Amino acid sequence: MIIELREFTRVEGNGKAEIVIEDGEVKDVRLKIVEGPRFFELLTLGRHYYDVPDLEARICAICYLSHSVASVLGIERAFGVEVPEEIALLRELGLIGELIESHALHLYLLVAPDVFGYPDAIRMATKHGELVKEGITIKAFGNRIRELIGGREIHGINVKPGGFGRYPTVEELEMIEKESEALLRLAKRAVRLFASLGPYGAQATHFVATDGYLWGEKLISDEEGSFHYTERIEERSLIYSFTKQSRYNGEAFLVGSLARLLLKSEMLTPTAGRLFEEHREKLATGYVSYNNLAQAIELVYALERANEIAKTLLDRGIEGENVPVEPGEGEGIGYVEAPRGVLVHHYRIDANGKVAYSNIITPTALNHVMMEASLLEEARRLHGKADDRAMVQRLEETVRAFDPCISCSVHIVRL
Amino acid sequence: MMDKLKLGVFELTDCGGCALNILFLYEKLFDLLEFYEIEEFHMATSLSEGSHYDVALVTGTVSTRRDLNLLKKARNHSEYLIALGTCATHGSVQGSVELPIREKLKAVYGDESNPMHALDPKPVVEHVAVDFALPGCPYDKEEVFQALIDIAKGVEPVKKDYPVCLECKLNEYECVLVKKELPCLGPITYGGCNAACVRSGLGCIGCRGPLPGEANPASEYEILKDKGYDDEYIVRKFKTFARWEP
Repeated sequence: MIIELREFTRVEGNGKAEIVIEDGEVKDVRLKIVEGPRFFELLTLGRHYYDVPDLEARICAICYLSHSVASVLGIERAFGVEVPEEIALLRELGLIGELIESHALHLYLLVAPDVFGYPDAIRMATKHGELVKEGITIKAFGNRIRELIGGREIHGINVKPGGFGRYPTVEELEMIEKESEALLRLAKRAVRLFASLGPYGAQATHFVATDGYLWGEKLISDEEGSFHYTERIEERSLIYSFTKQSRYNGEAFLVGSLARLLLKSEMLTPTAGRLFEEHREKLATGYVSYNNLAQAIELVYALERANEIAKTLLDRGIEGENVPVEPGEGEGIGYVEAPRGVLVHHYRIDANGKVAYSNIITPTALNHVMMEASLLEEARRLHGKADDRAMVQRLEETVRAFDPCISCSVHIVRL
Repeated sequence: MMDKLKLGVFELTDCGGCALNILFLYEKLFDLLEFYEIEEFHMATSLSEGSHYDVALVTGTVSTRRDLNLLKKARNHSEYLIALGTCATHGSVQGSVELPIREKLKAVYGDESNPMHALDPKPVVEHVAVDFALPGCPYDKEEVFQALIDIAKGVEPVKKDYPVCLECKLNEYECVLVKKELPCLGPITYGGCNAACVRSGLGCIGCRGPLPGEANPASEYEILKDKGYDDEYIVRKFKTFARWEP
């Protein structure tokens, strides 16, 4: 017997799960991405490199800047372009803005209703208006940074190979410095709130992240050494979903906030580092539901780091000089930590500066196996004990903990 | 007090941005809720209780049989349907690849069998009649706010009738087409974004589709050609967001 659940709500994109029951036991769970395919690899094929990041941004609205930056990094590496610290810091600031926007949306508007037992944040606001307001304030700040660095709240085109169309002004950086400090108090409160969520889903045993906190040259894991994705991650097509599954050395693994904290805690800012230590034991169990708590700790990190970057840039002053880009034949991989985990943009560019090959791997596709494993554990735990309604609720909470971005996941495959 | 209007938000295949942009209205979303009750909006709520909608907002392209069924449901059960965003109005980026669906599936997934029932991606307006089309990738959030307020007050929402170019002039932005020789589609693109790309000092990429009527794509084509952009580049740029012109 196959029980088909309704499409997931309070997640980005369209997906659902099927529970396979045989002899009264839960045999399997399939996570089906029902969002249609979007063919980004064909869309960018033969396009001039300069236009590519603006197109790739359209893969996902919640993490468009992660896509632009990953695309720019892949292209620059194909040409051997190196950018100075100013540009690197501004890109990091943009990624931080995106992390703040995305985590705040997820925690306050999508997960918090589960904590308090409401179908959505709008109805939750009748009793917990203050909390919803706090979430919106933090989210709006993240979006303001996305607007300043990315060019628009959604799908701006300001991030380009070699630098930016427009650089932020002193006043804008001062605003970021001031606001990031003021909002820190709210983020610390969020850590207390989301620490109350219990363990559910599967326990991850393998974790993958980029070698820098929000971007990198290569990937790292819970095992020795850094590596390119092609060395340890393999993808497989599925007949029941417009997505591919990835495995790390043949096994399920986790990317995202929890993986980042566990692999890179030494890179955290002071307060975020202390909060991580306070919750380390719990987080280290690897229960995927603790990704919510990990995101709350990362909100603290992001606000502190935004403050540091703004201060550094204000001290140094903004030069606003782009680096010249000399196109030519080459191959490059950009690794970025999108809010929900590792994002890979891999390009080969021909002698005319046009894309000859592209491969994009998104965090939701990387987490697909782990999501199915988590759904299976929860379905087994609840089968025969909970009614359908409670089952759907808990399975949705389990998927939601990954903060999946289904739009992203549907075009992960190579040509 | 007057009964609230019933609102449904239906997401077909897209990046999620046109639904997300509604949440980015922040406090103004609560202003809308003075007039509307959200009956369906799966990104935001677990409730799905509607069988009739006074207003349906539909985002995305029809890319699968599921999308088509959902669109028909939205159309058949709503009084006023808005195609929201360039995917819904012109097909946007995912509608721009001119290959039959099976060839696309083979190229990307390595297999042309189609167990998930993918369709050739087309905008909403190609499948059903819509009452209002609001393009933009994404549209400006003020635009959807204004349209919903207008409808609530019984007024027909107003379509913009000027290109992005005019917004540059109002903002006194330097012309990037003339001064920097950047390929800017501002002169022929439907305005309403407040010239977001030119604000970044870059050329408009045409994400809102062409302005019907007065704009002159032939002359834009000649200008870009004069500036040294080749044929293929210009044609692809024109068609990126708007292969399906309504």
